[in-house]
Amino acid sequence: MPILEFLTPMYVFLILAGTLVGIIFGAIPGMTATMAVAVCLPLTYSLGLDNGLALLLGLYVGGISGGLVPAILLGIPGTPSSITTTFDGYPMAQRGEGEKALRIGIVSSLVGGLISLAALFFFAPALAEFAIKFSYVEKFLIIFFALTVMAALSEDMLLGIFSGFLGIFISLIGVYDVTDGGNGEYRLIPPGLEYWLDYGFSLLPVLIGLFGLATILEAAEVGMPKGQSLKDIKVGAHSRFSWGVFKGQVTNLVRSSGIGTFVGILPGVGGSAASILSYTAAKTSSKNPESFGKGNPAGIIASESGNNGLTGGAMVPLLSLGIPGDATTALLIGAFTLQGVQVGPLFIGNNPATWDSMIIAMLLANIAMFIMMYFAIRWLAMVVAVPKHILFPVILMMCVIGAYTINYGIMFDVWTLLIFGIFGWLATKLRLEVAPFIIGFILGPSAEIYFIKSLESFGTLTIFFTKSWIAMLLWALILGSVIGSIMLARRKAALELAQAQAQAEP
Amino acid sequence: MADLFKVSIDFETSHLIFPRLIIAILLVLGTIIVIRNRQAIAGSGAMWAETLRRMDKPRFLGTIALTVIYFLLMVPVGDIWPNTGLGFLICSIPFVALIGVLYMHERSLRSMIPMLIVAVVAPAIVWWLFTYVFALTLP
Repeated sequence: MPILEFLTPMYVFLILAGTLVGIIFGAIPGMTATMAVAVCLPLTYSLGLDNGLALLLGLYVGGISGGLVPAILLGIPGTPSSITTTFDGYPMAQRGEGEKALRIGIVSSLVGGLISLAALFFFAPALAEFAIKFSYVEKFLIIFFALTVMAALSEDMLLGIFSGFLGIFISLIGVYDVTDGGNGEYRLIPPGLEYWLDYGFSLLPVLIGLFGLATILEAAEVGMPKGQSLKDIKVGAHSRFSWGVFKGQVTNLVRSSGIGTFVGILPGVGGSAASILSYTAAKTSSKNPESFGKGNPAGIIASESGNNGLTGGAMVPLLSLGIPGDATTALLIGAFTLQGVQVGPLFIGNNPATWDSMIIAMLLANIAMFIMMYFAIRWLAMVVAVPKHILFPVILMMCVIGAYTINYGIMFDVWTLLIFGIFGWLATKLRLEVAPFIIGFILGPSAEIYFIKSLESFGTLTIFFTKSWIAMLLWALILGSVIGSIMLARRKAALELAQAQAQAEP
Repeated sequence: MADLFKVSIDFETSHLIFPRLIIAILLVLGTIIVIRNRQAIAGSGAMWAETLRRMDKPRFLGTIALTVIYFLLMVPVGDIWPNTGLGFLICSIPFVALIGVLYMHERSLRSMIPMLIVAVVAPAIVWWLFTYVFALTLP
């Protein structure tokens, strides 16, 4: 069968290596899957598309899964998406059931990953097939919809929307590219930087700055919290894991994986939303919700299958529409750009071999993750204690090398890394949201082309409403997400007010 | 009514339309945010003072300072031996070591040894990998 040509020893090795490194990144608090992908991106340069993606997908799957280790053993989420794993995992570990809790988490991760992979496999081609018919009008509205969904789900809708538009604004710096049908004129370049910003800021240094350097700066700001020492870590020798734990939990598993996948499909919504939503769903539908948060295995199952469900889901909009589903998949866009491959509705049809290789890579990464973590759990637990003063300097160096080599050696890209590293640190202080910013930055140039070309050919703004039923449906979805978010904000505010009043009355 | 939405785009200036639109939206959103959060913004001076007070200044500012020096030195050092990537290698070893020392908590000689080994080995491996295996030029 010619379709399995990509299945070389190198390919399998890269998946295994990626998964292992990903698990390690995930397992060390303060280091995330996104960081792992950002740091390893330059390595994919000379690997070719299939092998490069194999490494990155391994990192992604491993990174999301690894977060459960410190979440359970120390009560510290290794990645943001394993916050809810701490709720029930840590109490179990304190009871001496650490190993059992870890294995429950690992099995749930595998199930979540596989279910979402199946969703990706069946759903992405169908969505892409549908999206091929989109004209510039619909494509513009899709981007607009992606931005509103993200903003609606951010902490603060206005600031989320603002961040998204700020990302678009930064992306427009430079030339209005002739190759996309622009007129080749320059705009928005600060005086004195014309030479460097001809084509604006490059994507990868921006991403590496925001997700690599900014994370390190944040850790440095709080004094580089000391790592855990080995003696704090108790796996618990006498906890027997049995598959019986999963009895009666099939609904929970499937529901949580489904929620994770769905959240992944929504553009720009990260893993923490996936696990929080599935955890809440498991809690509300449970017969004894009060046992949650005290070491109920169902909580770990919900959280871990939810956040691993994200992995396949987040790839759906990336591969069918060219819109990244979360921060890590935004970095994957960088990998495609490096190889000169365009992601969008035509991707799967034009690159069937790459599509197959991605699916197989994710499948193998999930299996590898399971085997490595399930059988080597005691070893992995020690990774949590690797000191940061050894890792972070090396990561900083990797960030620099990544930024430098991305465009074959341009020092300005390294400075871009620094600029956006500091910007990323500043953004959290100003409560700006990095995820919408990144999506805006990535999609800004396309949004411009789609918008301007639609107006050039139709000559009226009404075309955005009347072009087709899809356009109207998209407007309905955009309005729905905005109204929904306003209602959610109101309800939250009312709830907080009620709580404040309840506290005021003794 | 339909005329109201008519737009014609002049190709010569079409590069300015979208940026202007985005700037307008940012200004509108910014104004709303400023008005809505005026109290928080009025109190931002105190917030920054607090952030600065709590900040681990040596580590935070040290990271930025070392990074800037690292970036500034890399190219001039590299120009001494052009196209060998030695600028990267020579600058990275002290950079990794210094950042490592900066981030350490107990700075005893014994605990520094593994870190110093990594500071020499990691840049060397990366340099070798990029120069000879990937054939990419480093500064």
